[in-house]
Amino acid sequence: MWDLILNPFVSILAWLYAALNQDIVLAIVVLTVIIRFLTYPLLAKQQESSRKMQQIQPQLKKLQEKYKNDKEKMSQAQMKLYRENKVNPVGGCFPMVIQFPILIGLYQAIFFALAATPFQLVDLSERLLIPGLDSLIPLQRMWTPIPQLAEFLPALDLTLAPTENPHYSLLLPLLVLITTWAQQKLTMMTTKQKSEKSDDDDEDEKPRGGQTQIMQSMTTIMPIMFGFFSLSFSVGLSIYFVASNLIGIVQYSPQGRSVLDKLFRKKQTDDAPVEIVLEDDEPVKKTRKRRKKKPRKK
Amino acid sequence: MLDLERRRMSLYLILSLAALLVSGCVGARMGVSWPSVGLVEINGEQNIALAYNNDVALLNPANGAPLRLVNPLNGAALLDKDNNPRSWILRGSDFGGAQFYSLPIVVDEETMLVTANSGSLWKVDPVLVDVPRMIPLDDKVVADSLVVEDIIYIPYQNGGLSARSMLDYREIWRFPTEEGIWAKPLLAADMIIASSVDHHLYALDRSSGQLIWSLDLGGSVASTPLLANDRLYVGSFNKSFFEISLDGEILNSYATQNWVWGTPAMDANGIIYLADLSGYVHALDSENYLQPLWSNQIAERGIRAGPIVYQDRVIVASRDGRVYWLDRRDGVLINSREIDNLPELLGDMLFLEPSDSLKIDVPLLLVSSVDEGRLLIAFEVDGRQTWVYPR
Repeated sequence: MWDLILNPFVSILAWLYAALNQDIVLAIVVLTVIIRFLTYPLLAKQQESSRKMQQIQPQLKKLQEKYKNDKEKMSQAQMKLYRENKVNPVGGCFPMVIQFPILIGLYQAIFFALAATPFQLVDLSERLLIPGLDSLIPLQRMWTPIPQLAEFLPALDLTLAPTENPHYSLLLPLLVLITTWAQQKLTMMTTKQKSEKSDDDDEDEKPRGGQTQIMQSMTTIMPIMFGFFSLSFSVGLSIYFVASNLIGIVQYSPQGRSVLDKLFRKKQTDDAPVEIVLEDDEPVKKTRKRRKKKPRKK
Repeated sequence: MLDLERRRMSLYLILSLAALLVSGCVGARMGVSWPSVGLVEINGEQNIALAYNNDVALLNPANGAPLRLVNPLNGAALLDKDNNPRSWILRGSDFGGAQFYSLPIVVDEETMLVTANSGSLWKVDPVLVDVPRMIPLDDKVVADSLVVEDIIYIPYQNGGLSARSMLDYREIWRFPTEEGIWAKPLLAADMIIASSVDHHLYALDRSSGQLIWSLDLGGSVASTPLLANDRLYVGSFNKSFFEISLDGEILNSYATQNWVWGTPAMDANGIIYLADLSGYVHALDSENYLQPLWSNQIAERGIRAGPIVYQDRVIVASRDGRVYWLDRRDGVLINSREIDNLPELLGDMLFLEPSDSLKIDVPLLLVSSVDEGRLLIAFEVDGRQTWVYPR
């Protein structure tokens, strides 16, 4: 079953390798760009869902306070709030769940395509779906980052970990760490900016403290974790991590998002959340209104 | 902070960790190669040698049990520190950790040579299963070495063939290749023939290592060629099978369904049997320009090892965990046996004829798997299973 995802990736990677003058690093980068580009609608949907959830946080908090002793009523009110704002509480998870097998598939495709042992190569024989790729096997696994400086920077074996390669390859885990951190930081900033953009300066409507804490700890934990894994994973996978992170940085940057949103014809919606009328409340007309923006406190 | 948002963040973190673990485990669960099985003679008796992962074991062909170590002076059983009888198992973990995918070579009654995947040549005392000396090599080894007179030819996993003296183990010459040599070198007409994953078949002068000829076969070559009637028969990953003269000329070729990895077999009539990694078995007439006699898909998955030909049967073992007996004349399936848990059957098979030195009275077919619980399975010719190692 898993092979349905993996084998096309392996085949496309081998095909790109053939098309790009047998440059496996370039093939990895191009395949990563293609996959990240094609999965952008899912990422955008996930971000949109996250933004909407943040916008209704203040109201959700009010509901929690109001119905803290009546779980049933709270649940009903929450559902109503979600319905009125067209928010699916697990809507952000679905695109994420779809993206994960794709990203893992890509990650594993690099591992399988760079077969370096008899066992890995015999496995590869059943994965190449595009005819004519057999004569390329084994893919070139030695890579010289700067051919002009080959004397000082000897070739890296992409199938081995940085610890088994020339010392300068230890820069790769560091690069993984830095780019993962930068991507996480940018993700956090983007979410924060979006939230601030659509809300006023009411204290309640700022990103919640706990949430910010989790995001901040992820910004610390994830880079360390990925950097640490890169020490023991093959250099080829570290290159994938770096490429993927750099593409992520472009995707999360305002310019990148703007271009991608145009490409995928995504509308920018900055509507304020719809407020709902609750029982026992003074009836309020349901409107999609834009609230006044208070001047920022200095 | 709302529970839902917290859960979503946690889910993201858990998925990221799971992704890394799943992906990271891909490498861990894949071994380097498959078992190597062959016969070694110690004290005039033939024993089965099995090299795979951490261990090299010598087994009794009659029942698949590891040999017992005995004191050469009085014949008493040697005991370990817990007073249990010691078995003939060389464990890499007892000597700093090493993996083995190559058969041991018996030099004399006191010396055995084993190449380790960690990149060293071990001089082993076969009586006590001790390692008095380790000679560092320049690369890992995944294939069997060849011994001709007083020279051992060691193929390197990442490229190159090293010829070393059997007297002092010094390197006499080395021939470099762009990619690894994953098959035992072959002696043919005083040349060393080496197949390389770099798509070439090399013929070298066995004394000097000088290249006599090389042939690009359009795809990786990972098997030892079959030498018959002064011709070499070998398959490549270019989905082709070749008949090559000893002066390096391709005489005939045949298109297969997938990569050919195993060494072919030839019967007394000059019919060649080969299998490919799509599960096909082919019969070709070597006396008629490799004309196909039959070609049948037998297995659901690839067949890595070369076939065994015995009487009117062709026997193959597949990655689908089954052993197949075919009619030699038309390739029709006669019988098949399923190994428990359907482990991948990747190692070369071994066929043992009854003999006094083997201490068996019926022919045995040995099939190796990559399942640590059933590394070697012995069948009688009718497909009946006789023993399994380890038990």
